[in-house]
Amino acid sequence: MKEGGQIEMGIVRSNDEVAPDHRILAIELPPSFGDGQPGQFVMLRPGECRDPFLPRPFSIYTMDRDGESVHLYLLYRVVGKGTVLMASLRRGDTVMLLGPLGRGFDPPGEAEKAVLVAGGVGVAPLVCYAERARKTGSGRALEITAYVGARTEGILVGLDRLEALCDVLKVATDDGSRGYNGTVTELFRRDLDKFRPPGSVVKACGPKGMTDALRDIVEREGLYCQVSLEERMACGIGVCLGCAVRVKGDDAEPAYLRVCKDGPVFDMGVIYRDDR
Amino acid sequence: MTGDVLSTPNMAVSIGGGIVLKNPVMTASGTFGYGEEFSSHIDLSRLGGIVVKGLSLRPRAGNRPPRIMETSAGMLNAIGLENVGVEAFIAEKMKFLRTLGTAIVANIFGDTPKEYGSVAERLNDVEGVTALEVNISCPNVKTGGVDLGADPVMAGKVTRIVRKATDLPIIVKLTPNVTDIGVVARSVEEAGADALSLINTLKGMSVDIESRRPHLGNITGGLSGPAVKPVALRMVWEAVRAVSIPVIGIGGIMNHEDALEFLITGASAVQVGTANFINPAATIDIIEGMERWLENRGIADVNQIVGTLDLS
Ligand SMILES: Cc1cc2nc3c(=O)[nH]c(=O)nc-3n(C[C@H](O)[C@H](O)[C@H](O)COP(=O)(O)OP(=O)(O)OC[C@H]3O[C@@H](n4cnc5c(N)ncnc54)[C@H](O)[C@@H]3O)c2cc1C
Ligand SMILES: Cc1cc2nc3c(=O)[nH]c(=O)nc-3n(C[C@H](O)[C@H](O)[C@H](O)COP(=O)(O)O)c2cc1C
Ligand code: FES
Repeated sequence: MKEGGQIEMGIVRSNDEVAPDHRILAIELPPSFGDGQPGQFVMLRPGECRDPFLPRPFSIYTMDRDGESVHLYLLYRVVGKGTVLMASLRRGDTVMLLGPLGRGFDPPGEAEKAVLVAGGVGVAPLVCYAERARKTGSGRALEITAYVGARTEGILVGLDRLEALCDVLKVATDDGSRGYNGTVTELFRRDLDKFRPPGSVVKACGPKGMTDALRDIVEREGLYCQVSLEERMACGIGVCLGCAVRVKGDDAEPAYLRVCKDGPVFDMGVIYRDDR
Repeated sequence: MTGDVLSTPNMAVSIGGGIVLKNPVMTASGTFGYGEEFSSHIDLSRLGGIVVKGLSLRPRAGNRPPRIMETSAGMLNAIGLENVGVEAFIAEKMKFLRTLGTAIVANIFGDTPKEYGSVAERLNDVEGVTALEVNISCPNVKTGGVDLGADPVMAGKVTRIVRKATDLPIIVKLTPNVTDIGVVARSVEEAGADALSLINTLKGMSVDIESRRPHLGNITGGLSGPAVKPVALRMVWEAVRAVSIPVIGIGGIMNHEDALEFLITGASAVQVGTANFINPAATIDIIEGMERWLENRGIADVNQIVGTLDLS
């Protein structure tokens, strides 16, 4: 795999709405496109477009290859200029892609149980993780439990895939329209006695509030947790230093890592709790 | 490649201090890391030169996030000059850079004029460093940033100190955040600069209307990208008329047409910055585009278009 990813032109195969303001973009790429690891991402620009000016980062939702091409799927939520434009892409349109980029989730290794904690569209890289785990050696026997949260039932995404891949799937909604009425981290906390270090590992992706709450739990329990973080990005390959995330260290002299290159997946334990 | 060997135009340019670049296209500091990051995208040896991320005497952590924000046709950044420090640069980054066969320019800065001198001195004997670019213009750091470069006297003082500290050619990089660029340019020329480069970023700001907070952790940041190109071009024009040393044009260059505008206006070379984020192969596309443009017009040497702005 090439360190800094590759630039490729992709062709849109489909772009279906899967929930209000949530879509899956299917992109066909040449076979030379590198194999993405779960948690890695791509920088995407619709066509040759210059507005928005910068490409946008998206996690790999699924990726597979047949002889002639690579099929990449992105699960995304429409939130602003770039994703509105993305939503208007149709079959046959072109996109510019740079990827796969960054450091993804470590494979399950010796773990017996994997816990996935997802908030909203953060489910994307975790579906990729579960899928990959099932395809590889020890992952087949791995017990996977997924906790998925969203504001309301209508925008719960990725559940069909997780249902097929996980041993247990639990859902939380803020408004109680489906599953547990409350946060996904609280739902997970209630099950904690099922998961003990070192046999259990946690993989997470979601909004800052969720990851902060999760951090408190895993730190208390001593559970090993990897989390996929988000920051605004420009280059995606580690050169602009724009996507800095503060890491623990000396309080007087803050230290930063780059989400695009050192992450986006980090060990929860290294991230500084930033209450901004 | 199109055309036969004979019709390939000469692309080599001189940028002062005895430096000859194989073509006029360099990378801009802070947008190209230490070069290596781009090696999977482009053949680095084809570049006119690589200007590395700004180096200080000691490593620097940089500003608190968020550090970047997109704007119309550009971006704001407030990185805060995060860098590995000059020692780590020499120990870890030069080994790769010196093998590339292209000009390597070390961009330097300090918190005080004296510190500029110390960094320059440290780099003086390092094998493979072609020149120093002295950044007296970063708008993000309270000390040694905009205050230095906006004051012609201080700009001259820093240049003189660096001049004393090194035998390497020095390019002084100017800030656009001044009323009269000509005054600063002349002061720096008199102090012994071999060339000027401009512009660094324009100071700017952006606000989130829901939270009513600035988008950047540092409140203000530096604007770059196509949005700044007309300003950059105007300032290059003013600088070219003010001094007789070579001027390197920077600001919003996205394609070979943009680059040619700067050359016609009088820049001897250009640097490409933010465009590298949009397309990691931007520099090579610009070099090839420029070559083709010259070829198609039967122009044998890129120097024939430098400073040919027609004001008749
Ligand atoms: C490594 C990584 C992986 C990601 N994976 C996915 C994914 O799989 N699916 C998905 O829907 N989204 C993902 N995102 C977030 C996605 O990049 C942003 O939603 C997108 O850039 C917004 O662009 P926009 O032009 O539509 O919105 P803008 O108009 O730019 O912004 C709209 C809102 O989104 C916020 N925003 C902008 N950029 C980012 C960003 N990079 N990260 C977080 N918030 C941002 C802004 O602060 C603002 O509140 C990922 C982000 C990162 C860093
Ligand atoms: C993210 C970023 C970091 C930068 N870091 C530096 C730096 O360390 N030193 C410096 O002299 N200029 C720095 N610059 C300024 C650029 O080198 C260049 O002068 C400016 O961005 C204008 O050119 P552009 O529009 O092509 O980007 C930086 C610019 C950006 C966007
Ligand atoms: S986005 Fe440029 S360093 Fe991460």
